[in-house]
Amino acid sequence: MIEFHLDGRSGVAPYMQLIHQVRHALRLDLLRQGDQLPKVKDVAAGLAINPNTVLKAYRELEYEGLVAARPGIGTFVTGTLDGGSLAAHRPLRAELARWLAKARRAGLDDESIEAIFASTFRSAREEDIA
Amino acid sequence: MTWLTWRQFRPQTAAALAALAAFAVLLAVTGPHLASLYQTDGVTGCRGAGCGQAANNFLSDAGRYQVVYALGVAVIVLAPAIIGLFWGAPLITREFETGTFRLAWTQTITRTRWLATKLALAGLAAIGVSLGFSLTFGWWTAPIGQAARLATDSSFPLGMGPFSLLAFDAHGIVPVGYAAFAFTLGVTVGLLLRRTIPAMALTLAIFAAAQVAMPLAVRPHLFPAEHTTVAVGSVDATAHVSGNGSFSLGVRELAGQPGAWVLSAQAVNAAGQPVSSVPACAGQAQHTQSCLASQGVQIGVTYQPTTRYWAIQWTETAIYLVIALALAGFCFWRLNLRRS
Amino acid sequence: MTEVIETAGLGKRYRDVWALSDCTLSVPAGHVVGLVGPNGAGKTTLLSLASGLLAPSTGTISVLGGPPPTGPAQLARVGFLAQDAPVYAGLSIAEHLKLGARLNPRWDAGLARARISRLDVDPRRKAGKLSGGQRAQVALTLAIAKRPELLILDEPVASLDPLARRQFLQDLMEAASEQELSVVLSSHLIGDMERVCDYLIVLVASRVRAAGPVDDLLATHHLLTGPRQDPPRLPAGVRVISASHTDRQSTLLVHATEPVLNPAWTVSGVGLEDMALAYMRQDAPLSRDHHHLGVCK
Repeated sequence: MIEFHLDGRSGVAPYMQLIHQVRHALRLDLLRQGDQLPKVKDVAAGLAINPNTVLKAYRELEYEGLVAARPGIGTFVTGTLDGGSLAAHRPLRAELARWLAKARRAGLDDESIEAIFASTFRSAREEDIA
Repeated sequence: MTWLTWRQFRPQTAAALAALAAFAVLLAVTGPHLASLYQTDGVTGCRGAGCGQAANNFLSDAGRYQVVYALGVAVIVLAPAIIGLFWGAPLITREFETGTFRLAWTQTITRTRWLATKLALAGLAAIGVSLGFSLTFGWWTAPIGQAARLATDSSFPLGMGPFSLLAFDAHGIVPVGYAAFAFTLGVTVGLLLRRTIPAMALTLAIFAAAQVAMPLAVRPHLFPAEHTTVAVGSVDATAHVSGNGSFSLGVRELAGQPGAWVLSAQAVNAAGQPVSSVPACAGQAQHTQSCLASQGVQIGVTYQPTTRYWAIQWTETAIYLVIALALAGFCFWRLNLRRS
Repeated sequence: MTEVIETAGLGKRYRDVWALSDCTLSVPAGHVVGLVGPNGAGKTTLLSLASGLLAPSTGTISVLGGPPPTGPAQLARVGFLAQDAPVYAGLSIAEHLKLGARLNPRWDAGLARARISRLDVDPRRKAGKLSGGQRAQVALTLAIAKRPELLILDEPVASLDPLARRQFLQDLMEAASEQELSVVLSSHLIGDMERVCDYLIVLVASRVRAAGPVDDLLATHHLLTGPRQDPPRLPAGVRVISASHTDRQSTLLVHATEPVLNPAWTVSGVGLEDMALAYMRQDAPLSRDHHHLGVCK
């Protein structure tokens, strides 16, 4: 069973952090199909967070098809996360490495690179939503 | 709630029972000897004229127990005040000061039931303890009381007749009334002031004032007084003459009614009207008494006879109990009003 | 969803001072509700009114659909934990549980025993000899084991050390989850509230400044930064909560139901703490604001 933790300073909403941790665990094969997620009560007590927060995260995961709640028993993993096959990762990594090299040659330091990436990423997401 | 009240009240109950036990032991140690003195001096079952002398003998023999007697009187007189201060005042103020009332009032119990249980249990304990002290002391002083009624020589223990201030408050049933009053007074003051020390101080002040006011202003008038006249020169009369011819007359005792409560005594003329000056006797300092007597002046005495003793005791007790109940009722009203 | 606390124009006055004024709330059930505000804002007054310890001076309040608890039926449904967790110093822990059992018909003895055994303290120990955290846990046990529907706590962790505070909140969350409790707790420490509460009420100087689900509050409050505009020009429907200006820059914390699209302003989100602090600063003197937020050049 996975154990959750919370980063109070990350600026990410607690329920999102829980969702990320479940998805991360699925990707790393720490969570497999049929595994039970910790009970809402235990997560709330363990982290001292609102049980509704945990419920929200579990409901969101259920909506994404990753878990299913069995009333009276618990919440169980039903889906898998395909982050794209590893084959798709390699060319993307290569492209990213080339871009990074370009950015360095242009004289950008670490912070500028991170800032460009973050703002582009954010605006791309917003365009996706809009 | 009964259990909680008892549990909270445990230390006070233990202290009271210890005190009562110590008191009882002291009296139990000396009581039988006192009773045997009563017997050997021949007062037991005595009838007839010789009894007066036997009683006088007993009372002078019993003089060795003066200290115990005084202690008993002191304990009984002080007990109501102690009950009021240490049982009554802190009953509610402790809960206010520690904040535990917020714990108690949010359990599934109404404030009325909370107060009622506390008042009832502690109040009954107060009455019970007071009754215990009074009965024990009453048992011990019974021979003395009997003898005093028979004695011809009015030598009451410590010079106190039954109606004298301390003696009346220490004997009979009134201490129970005082205890009930002091207790509910303490609770009421505590409910209003909400702090223990100020509540104790105010309770003591009010209780002391009441205990002074009652014998001075109320007790004499509970029943209509009797009147009689005493000759100026008689044994129990007193006369004070000042240089400019004015005088005041009084009586120490009423012959034939030892222990009667003399409320007032003043000079009256033959017709029974008060006189304040007799011009004919002015300037005769040495012979004032005989002069006054020859002028027909007597001492008019207003008094309560000893036969009224128990009537006054019960009436006064009833008054205090009624006041105690009224205070308790006020507490309930005020408690539910406090929500505002 | 039913309302767990509903007030209309609620006010409470002590002599000449209004401890609470014009309070109108509609608190839904099934949430952990945080009541935040500076000391003296009226939090204890509001909670005392809800728990039946005080009666209103004006306005109305209803709790769990009825009047605030005074009779046994309602008292059984509401649990209260007063500030500083008052306990009977002369009674042992076990005797406190007996108190709970005797005074509450819905007492859950098994739950109470289980919670106390987790404390790892001898139940015969007198409550007066316990640490602050242990006293708070005993008081919490008393409030929870009576199986209420609504639990009201007045600054339950204010005087606890960080470990005791964390343990208390953990236990509170466990109880809230297990028993489907509605919880209302007040605190002047807003950081804890962010983890624990999903509904927030901001009370400053006897008045409610903001109330609503935490998600809604976070979605409708924004930080706007931009070139100096004093007074700021903003679209209708945008309410400035606090504003701070330097010679070049203006920083505003605003409440807006629609997104602020004016390109002059950089819009960012605010945390719960900053949002609450902005409301608390509303009454603060102006000079403090400048020192706090102003950055020259």
